[in-house]
Parts: sequence; structure tokens; C-alpha cells
Amino acid sequence: MIRLRFLCVATLLAACGGAPKPEARMASSEGAIRGAQEAGAANVPQATLHLRLAQEQRDQALGMVKNGDNHRADMLLARAEADAELAVALAREAAAKADAAKATESVEELQRKAGH
Amino acid sequence: MSRKHLIASLSVAAMAMGLAACGASAPPKELVDARAAYARAEGGPAAKLVPAELHVARESLDVAEHAFHDSPDSSDTVDVSYVALRKAQRADALGRAAEADGQRAQADKEATRTQRAMLENAEGRLKKTDAELQRERDNLAKQKEMTEAERKARLEAEQKAKDAMDALAKQMAVAKDARGTVITLSGGVLFVTGEATLLPGAQAQLNQVADALKTQAEHHFVVEGHTDNQGTDKINDDLSQRRANSVRDYLVVHGVAAGAITATGYGSKRPVGDNRSAEGRAMNRRVEIVVQGG
Repeated sequence: MIRLRFLCVATLLAACGGAPKPEARMASSEGAIRGAQEAGAANVPQATLHLRLAQEQRDQALGMVKNGDNHRADMLLARAEADAELAVALAREAAAKADAAKATESVEELQRKAGH
Repeated sequence: MSRKHLIASLSVAAMAMGLAACGASAPPKELVDARAAYARAEGGPAAKLVPAELHVARESLDVAEHAFHDSPDSSDTVDVSYVALRKAQRADALGRAAEADGQRAQADKEATRTQRAMLENAEGRLKKTDAELQRERDNLAKQKEMTEAERKARLEAEQKAKDAMDALAKQMAVAKDARGTVITLSGGVLFVTGEATLLPGAQAQLNQVADALKTQAEHHFVVEGHTDNQGTDKINDDLSQRRANSVRDYLVVHGVAAGAITATGYGSKRPVGDNRSAEGRAMNRRVEIVVQGG
């Protein structure tokens, strides 16, 4: 009877907080954060904000994994990854806009020269 | 569980169900924001330039909407809505990046076009300068050719003049002194004594002289008349002048330029022989044709 009750409790635990450790999301969120750093997110204010959010949420998620709260950790890691990916896009947008401005300026300079 | 408790629990559940059915659960702020962000991305350049990224955002929003439908109050719904919001913002940013890429490509194309136009312009100017240079070179060559031809012609004329004078020197007295080249013709051969009319025999000699003078194009000629000291100075001056005039006129008639030849009578003032002897006086009766500078 006691053994049966223990089995029930174990089953219940597995159903509630017993989700597997979110290995895949831990790796992919880490990769996304590294990608944002490499894309120069630290040099673009908006991108920096989302990179920081990504790092904070990931740190928080890793703490949850330690406490066995794998499901919450997985969700938080998904948020961290989305923030990191947004940081990459914002850094890319800033770089593309800077390049476009530079190219436009240089063509205007060229046209001024050609006009003379 | 007592019967009373069961009834209470059922009432709560019924109330919750009723609330859900009426739509009383407001969507989380994250979902509201995600819907707005998606609408913004869809209306921006992403729709045309990065449709695949927009599609990813749409799918993410759909997941959030389902989660909200299935369990409106769960924290999972908040989380998937948060993710949908970021995916929509990401698609929007990538759309604007692609738009900037397009602007840069357009500017680069324009720069290339401008550079090509500048290059063509410069090439055109270079070609024009080249053509001008070639014309200038041609002109110079022509001038050089002309100068060369002129030099050759002058040399030939000089040679011809020299040959003519050399030929003349074989027939009559030709000498050089301070005045130039002097052709001396004996008065006895040219004129009857005391007259200024040319003898028929003089013409052959004067024809030769005329031919020679015609080759001396750049020179001036002076026909000088001289007599011996027989008779008065007045008569001799007059006679020598008339004889010089006769010779000059004959030469002009036979082709020597009138402007290039003058006549002067010196009478007996410039003897070349001794007037005391008949031979000396014969030498003094003469006409000299001076080729000045010759």
C-alpha cells in the first residue's frame, strides 16, 4: 500500500515539474546570443538592450534548470533566444542603413564632381 | 469531500467557465503588443522584401493566439506571446535592413553609372585633344615641308644666279669690288662716239646681261655711265647719264624689273684708265652694271 502511494506521488511529480532538461534550447539560445555579439549588437543601442534581456533571461533560466523547473526554464530560454535574434536583426538593420547612407553620400559627391 | 464542498467547487468552476465563454479574460499585454508589431511589420517593407521572415512571425503569432484561446491565463501564453512579439519586431527590422540594402545597391549602381559617364566624358575630351594635337602635328609637318621646299628653291635660285654670272664672266669683264659685282661693258662696243643710241652689236651682249640679271631676283642694280675726259664735264655728265639710261631701258624692256634698276651718269669723274693714252681713254669709256650686294 505504501509502495503504491509512492508510485502515485512519483507519477504526479513527473507530470507536473518533471519535464526533461531543455538541452536543445540551452544550446540554441547560447548560439543566438553569441551570434548577436558577433553581429555587433553591443554597438547599436536598441540591439544592446535586447542582447542584455537575452542574457538576463538565459541566466535566470539556467538557475531554474538547477532547481529542476525545466518547463519554465524552457519557456524563458525561448524568450531569451527570440531577444537575441531580434538583436541580430537590429544590428543588421543599423549596419545596412549606415552603408546605404554612406553610398548615397558618395554618389552625391561623385555627381557634384561630374557636374563640374 | 463533503457534499457542501463539492457544490461550492462546482459553482466556482461554473463561474470560471462562464467568464471564459463571455471572453472576460483580457489578452496579456505581450499578445496585444505582438499583434500590433505584426501589423506594423506586415505594412512595412518586410512583406515584399523578406516574406519568409514575416511568415515565421505569423506562425509565432498563431501559436500565441492558440495558447491564449486554450489557456488565456497561463504563463506559457504570456511567454509565447512575448516570443511572437520579438519575431514580429525581427521581421520588421529585417525588412528595413533589406530596404536599406536596396538603397545602397541603387546608389552603387548610380555611382557606377556616374563614374562611367565621367570616364566617357574624359575619354571624349582626350580624343578631342588627340585630334587637335594630330592637326597641330600635321600643320607643323606641312610647314616644315614648305620651309624645306622654300630652302631648296632658294638654293636652286642662288645656284642658278651664280651659274648665270659665271657664264657671263666668260663673255665679258665681271669683277667684284666694294659696290658688289660689277659687269663692265666697253663704250666703243655699245655706242657710236658721242651718241647714246645702242649699236646693233651691243644687243647680243645686253641680252646676255639681261638674262643674267633676271636670275638675281633679290638684288638691286645700278647702271653707271662713264666717259673719258675729252670735252666738257657738262657734255660728259649728260652723255654718260643718257647712255646709262639707254642701257637701263634696254634691260627693263628685256625683262629686268624696272623697280630694281636705276641709272646714273658719272661723266669722267671715275676713270679706270690713264686719259693721257688712247688705250686708257678707251677703258674709261664704259658702262658698268653694278649688282649691289652680289
